[in-house]
Amino acid sequence: MMKIDRRIPGFGVFLVSVCLAVTLALSGCTVKLVSGYDETTDRAVTDLQRKTEAHLVALESVEDLPECTYENHKQFYDEAKVDISAITVRAAAIPKNDITTQESQLLASQLDNLEKLHKIACLSKDQITLVRTHFNTSFTAILKLEFAKRRGE
Amino acid sequence: MSLDAVKLGKDILAALNGSLAEKWPDVKDYGEAEAKKLAQTLVMIGTLKATGKINKEQAELHLEMQKNATRMVLMTIEGLGILSAEAAINSALIAVKDNVNKEIGFTLL
Repeated sequence: MMKIDRRIPGFGVFLVSVCLAVTLALSGCTVKLVSGYDETTDRAVTDLQRKTEAHLVALESVEDLPECTYENHKQFYDEAKVDISAITVRAAAIPKNDITTQESQLLASQLDNLEKLHKIACLSKDQITLVRTHFNTSFTAILKLEFAKRRGE
Repeated sequence: MSLDAVKLGKDILAALNGSLAEKWPDVKDYGEAEAKKLAQTLVMIGTLKATGKINKEQAELHLEMQKNATRMVLMTIEGLGILSAEAAINSALIAVKDNVNKEIGFTLL
């Protein structure tokens, strides 16, 4: 029969942890706390980043011109909302994918705020620079986590 | 024959440290780079408001976007941390498996 060293204080908690680890190892399970990499999410977010950048570049080119108004660019906002909705719904359908789901919802909020800004007035180059940074930070955050889910695949 | 809990604990800890240390430089660099960008945009929002290039409503919307971007960076860092913990746990499981089999003298696990 195995003897186990009981001299260590707080041994009970440690022993339970080790037993749990052994049980998991026995069952052949590896622990997975976060969902796996999803190529569709990766592609969709990357495509949306490209579309958003194209929108910002277009706005820069029409600064102070009549074409800069929100009404001339409404199509981008309508399409982007659909894109983000698809990303969010897909993310929410994947188990253990809470962080990416919440980030997708924040991305939707970013788009709403950009739309509100554009409805107030045409965006100056300075504002576009700010918006570009906000969005690139947001897109990078989502993609960085998605790539990390690859786990050496 | 006895399982050495002290040695087993040290082996698990070494596996945990190894996995976490491997991931931290990447997270640290990302966090630092994003923090720098966010600080710059915050200053820019303040400057645009102070110089009258944007009004209060516009400044508030930019700040809200800034906050959202910051939240997303923090959430990603949290996610990277969870992935690191997962890797550490799985490394510890392998360490436990190897040590238990070695101490026992046959492949139990």
